[in-house]
Amino acid sequence: MATTMAGVNLSAPRIAAKSGVEPPKPHAFIRIQPWSFNKRLTHGRMMVVRPVMAAPDKLSDKVAESVKNAEDACSENPASGECVAAWDEVEELSAAASHARDKQKSSDALEEYCKDNPEADECRTYED
Amino acid sequence: MAICTVYTTQLNPTCSSISTPSKPQHLGFHQNQVVFYKKTSNYKRSKSAARPSYLITCAAAGGDSQTVVIGLAADSGCGKSTFMRRLTSVFGGAAEPPKGGNPDSNTLISDTTTVICLDDYHSLDRTGRKEKGVTALDPRANDFDLMYDQVKALKDGVAVDKPIYNHVTGLLDPPELIKPPKILVIEGLHPMYDSRVRDLLDFSIYLDISNEVKFAWKIQRDMAERGHSLESIKASIEARKPDFDAYIDPQKQYADAVIEVLPTQLIPDDNEGKVLRVKLIMKEGVEFFSPVYLFDEGSTISWIPCGRKLTCSYPGIKFTYGPDSYYGHEVSVLEMDGQFDRLDELIYVESHLSNISTKFYGEVTQQMLKHSDFPGSNNGTGLFQTIVGLKIRDLYEQITTSKTQTPAQATKA
Repeated sequence: MATTMAGVNLSAPRIAAKSGVEPPKPHAFIRIQPWSFNKRLTHGRMMVVRPVMAAPDKLSDKVAESVKNAEDACSENPASGECVAAWDEVEELSAAASHARDKQKSSDALEEYCKDNPEADECRTYED
Repeated sequence: MAICTVYTTQLNPTCSSISTPSKPQHLGFHQNQVVFYKKTSNYKRSKSAARPSYLITCAAAGGDSQTVVIGLAADSGCGKSTFMRRLTSVFGGAAEPPKGGNPDSNTLISDTTTVICLDDYHSLDRTGRKEKGVTALDPRANDFDLMYDQVKALKDGVAVDKPIYNHVTGLLDPPELIKPPKILVIEGLHPMYDSRVRDLLDFSIYLDISNEVKFAWKIQRDMAERGHSLESIKASIEARKPDFDAYIDPQKQYADAVIEVLPTQLIPDDNEGKVLRVKLIMKEGVEFFSPVYLFDEGSTISWIPCGRKLTCSYPGIKFTYGPDSYYGHEVSVLEMDGQFDRLDELIYVESHLSNISTKFYGEVTQQMLKHSDFPGSNNGTGLFQTIVGLKIRDLYEQITTSKTQTPAQATKA
């Protein structure tokens, strides 16, 4: 568990910003698992695709509906304000759906557990 | 703690604030009341109501502290949220939505920092924009008078009742109380659009995502979404582009720091948008902000850290640094192309950068590792966002220190 990479062990007093609201913790250890670091930081190249959870149903429906509406609105006049506003609505809802997914992900108990216990069996991830 | 007085005097149509300094009752605190008068004709829910609505806010603000205001501009889906999480993390303590408030609130609050989303100042809700055929990017869909009044009030230490734009319903929800924080971040599409709001900013950042990368990111974000296709993602970007170019993009000339995200040049004809080239453009001569540099301040340098001392995998890492000009301003530009594959690469790079405002050796690396699950933690977007976060902490500390030393002078700044 306490494997450090290349002998690097970042241990440093945590200095809170001037506020002094938070009592400084004596030590903030970061344990680095070479493989987990690698995996997390290179999802670009190694193609570790995290499962994309569907956004809450209501929002998903709204996104799908807005795309359809935009396509309809633009079939008549693609340069109209109506068409542009409709695609803007698509963007707004897509962003909202993405934020909702992120929120859901961060409230996932397993994810939280695995952040602290990446070596546990139930936290293993596999690549094809 | 605060004594609230509701004023029923006639107010001018945009906004009035009434400040009644009373006798200090609690350790020199002043009692301020501010009353916002808001036109609500654009609000869907109040269309039938003939009477205007009054927002009444009461707050007791410490007379000795002033809020530092930071502006962050970027288009939707361009990494503002990630940046905010990195920034609040640098200040310590988690940023969370207001407790017990509207679950669809866009605000994040931590011990030191409050982040408000400027979408909350939409004057037209979703239906209103649809009827008028305008996008959220259009200034006509936003209430800059109210934005200015409320940011100004917060900067002066007065709490406000800020509207909430609900991104799920597309409606304006009842307002939430925002108390003046130590650091106020206003993030959204237009933090630097209105000159009055711009003048309130102590520091401003613009996230400039190139079209290629924006497209790649939105595919990543939306492809799994039902109803979306490559065509719909492309159509949405293209439809919004004229308004984006007219109202959002020009704000970058006012930014103190711009993070520009471009496709890599390390891989010929790379269209995947996975490896990124990221520029950090830092304005010279900004008070309390001294740009980061590589090896020798003011020189032009090209640096490939991968070699005998450091082994990197394909396509490697390349840095460039040097003075430049940006919209007529003198700037320093630090650029990173490629990505970090291993921890020692990040530490090696950090140890060669100067003026990064860390408090201990390895702080950048520590922050990046702490959030290695955030997008961009292995490339220049994460690195430069973290560094800008540290520079903002430094700026905040300098402003507060200078104020305690020369209070009279600091009010001007």
